[in-house]
Amino acid sequence: MNLRCLSLLACAVVPLILAGCGAGGGSSSDSTAAADTGLSPMAALGEKIFSDVSLSASGRQSCGTCHDPQHGHAPDNALPAQLGGPLMDLQGSRSTPGIGYLSFNTSFHFDAEGTPTGGFFWDGRAASFAAQAAEPFLNPVEMANGSRAEVIVRLERAAYAEEFKQLFGSDIFTRVDDAYERMTLAIQQYEKEDVDFRPFTSKYDEFLRGRVALGDQELRGLALFNSPTKGNCAACHPSGKGADGSFPLFTDFTYDTLGVPRNPELAQNADPDFFDLGLCARPAGDMAARTDLCGAFKVPSLRNVAVRKVFFHNGRFKTLKDTLSFYVQRDTDPQKWYPVGPDGKVKKFDDLPPQYHANVNTTEVPYNRQLGDAPALSDAEIDDVVAFLNTLTDGYAP
Amino acid sequence: MLKARPSRIAIAVGIALASCASMAQSTSEAELARKVDQLAAELAEVKAQLAAMKEKAAATAAAPAAPATPAQAATAAPPAAGGGQYALAPARPPSAEPDTVLTSYGELNYNRPRRASQDAQADLRRFVLGFQHRFDERTRIATEIEVEHAVSSADDAGEVEIEQAWIERDLTPRWSARAGLFLMPVGLLNENHEPTAYYGVERNFVETAIIPSTWREGGVQAIGRFDNGITLQAGVSTGFDLNKWDPASTEGAESPLGAIHQELSLARARNMAVFGALNWRGIPGLQLGGSVFTGKATQGQTTTDSRITLWDLHARWTPERWDLAALYARGSISNTAALNMPLVGNQTLIPKSFDGGYLQAAYRVWSHNDYALWPFVRVEAFNTARSFADLGAGLTPDRAPTERVVTVGANFQLTRGIVLKADYQRFRENRNADRFDLGLGWSF
Repeated sequence: MNLRCLSLLACAVVPLILAGCGAGGGSSSDSTAAADTGLSPMAALGEKIFSDVSLSASGRQSCGTCHDPQHGHAPDNALPAQLGGPLMDLQGSRSTPGIGYLSFNTSFHFDAEGTPTGGFFWDGRAASFAAQAAEPFLNPVEMANGSRAEVIVRLERAAYAEEFKQLFGSDIFTRVDDAYERMTLAIQQYEKEDVDFRPFTSKYDEFLRGRVALGDQELRGLALFNSPTKGNCAACHPSGKGADGSFPLFTDFTYDTLGVPRNPELAQNADPDFFDLGLCARPAGDMAARTDLCGAFKVPSLRNVAVRKVFFHNGRFKTLKDTLSFYVQRDTDPQKWYPVGPDGKVKKFDDLPPQYHANVNTTEVPYNRQLGDAPALSDAEIDDVVAFLNTLTDGYAP
Repeated sequence: MLKARPSRIAIAVGIALASCASMAQSTSEAELARKVDQLAAELAEVKAQLAAMKEKAAATAAAPAAPATPAQAATAAPPAAGGGQYALAPARPPSAEPDTVLTSYGELNYNRPRRASQDAQADLRRFVLGFQHRFDERTRIATEIEVEHAVSSADDAGEVEIEQAWIERDLTPRWSARAGLFLMPVGLLNENHEPTAYYGVERNFVETAIIPSTWREGGVQAIGRFDNGITLQAGVSTGFDLNKWDPASTEGAESPLGAIHQELSLARARNMAVFGALNWRGIPGLQLGGSVFTGKATQGQTTTDSRITLWDLHARWTPERWDLAALYARGSISNTAALNMPLVGNQTLIPKSFDGGYLQAAYRVWSHNDYALWPFVRVEAFNTARSFADLGAGLTPDRAPTERVVTVGANFQLTRGIVLKADYQRFRENRNADRFDLGLGWSF
């Protein structure tokens, strides 16, 4: 440890004298990066791993490929699920969640009232950033490595491999599981430390700071967003500051069953017997008995939602306008969203087996309407809410 | 206590004189004269002591805020006439009183909505234990610990809270200093909130929704008690925390200040408040008073400063069998437009002003020994959102309707410190809230 510290110190100081630490001195760039970004050495290493496409079987995909920092850490395309695999031609099963503001998330648990809360991925199956980061490397339709050992072989060839060894020991690559877990820990550290994942620099944040006013339409949208009788969005996407002064995250990290229409763009849906059941169908089978949670998916943060290209777990909608229209018209005009069967009846909640239709939220505003009722929001009001949602994009410059 | 001492002295003197007469028959005149002189001297000394005690008793009676603890109150005295358990009690104890005194009060309530009997509820509303201890003739401590709703646990609604914890020191015969967690000197009920001290099963709405009784803060205050019947209180204390305002709940609509009080529990204290109260009791049975509190309430957490001010005027008159009371209180919160802008659309925005008042009349129709029956009627009007700051068309909430509540019922004093209550409350706005109430309370 002391030797490592001395080494890092030397590499930090020597460049001041020699203007470089040598080609083999990875620690030089490490220390410099740490000084520039404010990241710890482990986080700085994690940043490099995060954006390293060489760690995938295709050589063309990294964490950052799907979690593009320029788009709220979500993809810059309108595909319902991203393509991956060795040839980058295999479709994933769900849309890519944004990973901003997740440092405020918790591991999955049931709260005091029995509400499922927290966890990473759409079904909360990962307990931490590190556990989440461990999966895409081995997912056949994502980075598609055949094993942990294959990932570590690629990691050992990376330009920053020497930094990895300096941090975790010169023999770290001989211990595959240890190396793999430290790789995911480095990614976790990066996601926790880098404020780019939680900048709080949107127009709305500036509004909360009292530095800028929202426009009339944006304010109307905020009111509709908050109103328990109109949008009621804030019931799951809280918009107010916390009692401790914390800024809102626009998610309560809970789960809901919305009955989102089936998306024919997903290849897996070609099989009429296939249903993505979400929370109750986690691969570990730990929630299999909770059939009341079949169809439930995690409530995402709405920060940077306006720069997303697809919405919901199956990427069924591609615009905010359509997304909000579905919310308020799902029950009043279901024929607009669901197919009509041979019998002329609308097949509501067609992405869930009939036995789970009762799980769909039909009690809370705006889902508590009946066929033919007026939607909770008019077309113009939806536009107002969209205008407000556009104030949640980070990087606001007056 | 003060009356008993002269009586015993008089009896002693009488016995002594009787003894003297008896002895005169069997002793010489010289011996008799010596004894008479001796007795005369002793009598003179007793008279002097008696005069001193009378003077002291008169001074104590003239003190404006002599406590009317249940044990000291006259049998048929109206509830809380002259102050509550701890209200401004002088530090010097009657010589027979122990240094440490255990106190308690509690109330069991039963509420039965007239139109929704399925919501009828029985509750051990409060159970309070406290102690007072005198460190010396000039210094004492008073505390109360309260359990609400009988059970307090992670899964129950009850609360355990420290309601009072303060130390008071007499600085001069007229001025005292108090520091700690104390009840704010506001209105008629806040400092005198024991169930034996007010009419009706439930505390009145004005002094719960507008004045957030039981309202306490941490701080220091000076208390002056003057011979002309004036009591003056002024101090510096913690205040409210507007950052706690939850626009999605109805708590702020039920009691704006009750939703953001801090109760000295990790209280934000960047902004301290100041308060003052003046009460005059120069005429026996009459109390006239008022109070004001003001302090900033965003506690440096936002760029928008906001000041909360609350004031009240109150009067109480207890001629003969009557007990009449009136109170008006008004609160205001500044800069609510800026504070509310991020909250628009929510069901409970921060009001700009809120107020309320009541008139109350009680009459002792019957009393016998410790028994006393006090029928009463109280008429209240209050509005927890009298006005909102303008947020623009379509965004500014409508002001709340003014609720009017008429309460008719009776307090029955079973014995000193125990009261049975029954009443009916009629609400003009929220008719579904009309209810029958029964209550049992004690205080000692």
